[in-house]
Amino acid sequence: MAESLNALVSRAVSMAQEAGASDACASASRSREVETTVRDGALETVKDATSNSLSMRLWVDGRYGSHSTNDLREDSLKRFIADAVALTRAVQVDAHRVVPDPSLFEGRAEVDLDLVDAGVQALTREERLALAMAQNAVLKDNPKIISATSGVSDSTNRSAMASSNGFTGEHGGTSLWLGSEVTVEDDGKKPEGWMWGGARHRADAPDPVQIANTALSRVLARIGSVKGPTARTTMVLDPSVSGSLVSRLMRPASGRSLSQGRSFWENTLGERTVNEALTIIDDPLLPRGFRSRTWDGEGIALKRREIMQKGALAAYNLDTYYGSKLGMKPTGSWTNMIVEPGSRDLAALIGATKSGIYVTGWLGGNSDSTTGDFSLGLRGHRIENGAIGAPVGEMNITGNLLELFQGLVEVGNDPWPYSSLRCPTLVFENVDFAGA
Amino acid sequence: MSTPTRRGFIGWSMAGAAALSMPGFLAACKQEGVVEAAATGAIPENPFLAWFNIDESVIRTVLAELTSRGADHAELYFQHTRSNSIGMEDGIIHKANTSVDQGVGLRVVIGDQVGYAFTEELTREAMLGAARTAAAIAQSGAAVQPQSFSVQALGGLYALNVPWAEVGVDSKLPILTKVDGFARAGDPRVKKVSVSYSDSDTRILIATLDGRIMVDQRPMTRLWCTTTAEQNGKTVSQSANIAGRRGIDWYTDQELKDLAKRAIDRTVILFDAVRPPAGEMPVILAAGASGILLHEAIGHGMEADFNRKGTSIYSSMLGQKVAPDFVTIVDNGTQPNLRGALNVDDEGNPTERTELVKNGVLNSYLHDRISAKHYGVTPTGSGRRQSFRHVIQPRMRSTYMENGPHTREEIIASVKKGIIAETFTNGQVAIGAGDFTFYVKNGWLVEDGKITAPIKDVNIIGNGPDALRKVTMVANDTTIDIGGWTCGKNGQGVPVSQGMPTTLVSAMTVGGSNG
Repeated sequence: MAESLNALVSRAVSMAQEAGASDACASASRSREVETTVRDGALETVKDATSNSLSMRLWVDGRYGSHSTNDLREDSLKRFIADAVALTRAVQVDAHRVVPDPSLFEGRAEVDLDLVDAGVQALTREERLALAMAQNAVLKDNPKIISATSGVSDSTNRSAMASSNGFTGEHGGTSLWLGSEVTVEDDGKKPEGWMWGGARHRADAPDPVQIANTALSRVLARIGSVKGPTARTTMVLDPSVSGSLVSRLMRPASGRSLSQGRSFWENTLGERTVNEALTIIDDPLLPRGFRSRTWDGEGIALKRREIMQKGALAAYNLDTYYGSKLGMKPTGSWTNMIVEPGSRDLAALIGATKSGIYVTGWLGGNSDSTTGDFSLGLRGHRIENGAIGAPVGEMNITGNLLELFQGLVEVGNDPWPYSSLRCPTLVFENVDFAGA
Repeated sequence: MSTPTRRGFIGWSMAGAAALSMPGFLAACKQEGVVEAAATGAIPENPFLAWFNIDESVIRTVLAELTSRGADHAELYFQHTRSNSIGMEDGIIHKANTSVDQGVGLRVVIGDQVGYAFTEELTREAMLGAARTAAAIAQSGAAVQPQSFSVQALGGLYALNVPWAEVGVDSKLPILTKVDGFARAGDPRVKKVSVSYSDSDTRILIATLDGRIMVDQRPMTRLWCTTTAEQNGKTVSQSANIAGRRGIDWYTDQELKDLAKRAIDRTVILFDAVRPPAGEMPVILAAGASGILLHEAIGHGMEADFNRKGTSIYSSMLGQKVAPDFVTIVDNGTQPNLRGALNVDDEGNPTERTELVKNGVLNSYLHDRISAKHYGVTPTGSGRRQSFRHVIQPRMRSTYMENGPHTREEIIASVKKGIIAETFTNGQVAIGAGDFTFYVKNGWLVEDGKITAPIKDVNIIGNGPDALRKVTMVANDTTIDIGGWTCGKNGQGVPVSQGMPTTLVSAMTVGGSNG
């Protein structure tokens, strides 16, 4: 397609205004993603996908609508935008539907986030296959292995945004992910283990042999797993699984949850509600970060800031609309969340635990954003006198998120690098486990 | 799950796990694109031209390129989806969304190897480019091309009186305002009401290497009501939703009233709800949405791709007795207007009623074309994909248990200390280990054969074959849930249905308090 993304979005904004929109913000993206998987030494799937899309946020006579299409032909687009304006006009007037304040666009960081790697963009079919095969080759000799799949996925994307009140911006990135998954025989059961890791740059991507070895050691550790105990005890979370629990804790701090009376964070800003061991920084400017960017989906310039300071929530996650409903300024979206590390690693933290459960995987479960009540399925190992013991599974933990995080007694120094939420090992006391 | 940048890969990486969730409206909703709607929503005489603005000769050219290096099978999957969603909060209809999504997915299959590519541009050049990319997986001579294409007649499981493309937004708004009104008037403790609505219309055209053309028009709609209530300084919230391949005439005032009432009932009961004690206990599954147990405990494990690879806990159990004689578990794509209904699967095979467990014996896997060929059986019409962007996998449609010999009253009376699981938000399974979970949002404590207190927010975890063996009583009240369930597998979401009669599982591990 000859037209640049910048030209497309500014043209779309003009078309929306011509169709009767009071204000408009258009964003467009183009991406290519290639996935290659091999199973048991043979090529299984190659998928090559190129996508384009355009989305429009429209303000029409005090009303609001958002609309998207991937049919970018001239005639289609014109008709799509005219229909979108007409549809937006049909909803009700909402005084809080105002366009983002353009003064918030100012002060955008002038930094190179280093998100694009030409090396990823230059990957060939043969190189992808070699990265997949290098993993899979590690997973063929152990006689317990039933099946092993290894894969490589790389992508490159570019997006642009423009608004009728003066915003323009472009953003792009690459990434390369490797992963393996292996199933072994265990007396009729067939436990599976997996490992995946990736990076923005090829040079930072994990070693394929290490990925495969991690997947294999994880699954071999599951052999002989039995149902764990029903007990109130200490819980140590592996860094690969701790982030999702922090994410459950932080998610209800969004404007929508708060404004709809569905957040346990209501009226808690600045108060210590969880253990002071927890400090979280949102860093949109992290070089090569998975969610790094200098402006958010509304165009608001982003800055590094604390969102959780020694157990007290330091910021909500508010956009313009819900900020207005709550009588507060928009904060800009959260991006890379970095849990401030402590001083000891997983091995040392387990070594310091007399007895408890070391959690290595979640299975289902949920939490209630209004009350903080949660219940989650898990698997892991017993901890006995500072050592990792027998594998256990078919267990739940149950409680309330705020109470659970009040019992967060120590944070490790080993953050998980393969996520935008960089969280280390976490240790909690007095957790309710349900098992046999 | 915290997350890298690409959903597809995450899905793939999580291949050992499969999830079912309620927050399930994945599809985009549609407004008319450049492609003209057929006047009445009926299948047009020439669907190529009418829906996708292409002719048969282009299909021939692209299919030839796709199979130029060999193929056991190949197909083109054209899709055009328009969706519309509308939201209401704080008494105001505060947003509307439309979306248009179209493209063609090209797949070539050789043995169990798959080459896949798609393009969103329906031009000859773009399709030929994608065909060359997908074809590269093969390494032999060109496949034989079809002599001619014949358009296959399909069933009418979800033909609408008025297709969504012809329903104006003005007719949709009252659906939301009525639900909002019913919910606000329903209980003085209700302080906040959110209503979200969506409809979509998807047009599919599948052209296969063996010369078949399948054309299907698939509607979907969903309505969701969430209420937040306050009492004595305590705030609780819960929601209810209904969904199906239905038209606007489904939304009668009675249906809307019932929805609002369900949302309120599920919310205000939480003021009094407690956590059960933690540990193993009998679990009574209430009729309806409890089919989530089947979906997780056996449904995913019976998808033949996992079995073909030997990675499912059920992969060597066909023909074995897995449950009492009165247990028959079905996966069915042929029930009219259900979310999981399909006239044809996404690789062009007819759907059917498949008995996973027949009178307690493990009877059949769910097959797509690749696994059916592997096992030398007929495909069960279970090949599904989220969209043209995704590869086909064996998937569930509507999964339920048939009636048993007991009654709900007998079952409750038989339990000394246990729980009834009634409403659910999500579930998940580890295919090979067999461990599955589902999250109970509302339920009841049962003591000495009687319901004694409401319960809330507990996860239940069990092991598939173990839970089936422990099904000790099944009632005669099987009910299909009409909630908007979406099943996730390897990063792809597809709409499903599920159902259950009141059923007793003698022991599962229930999350709870040790206090």
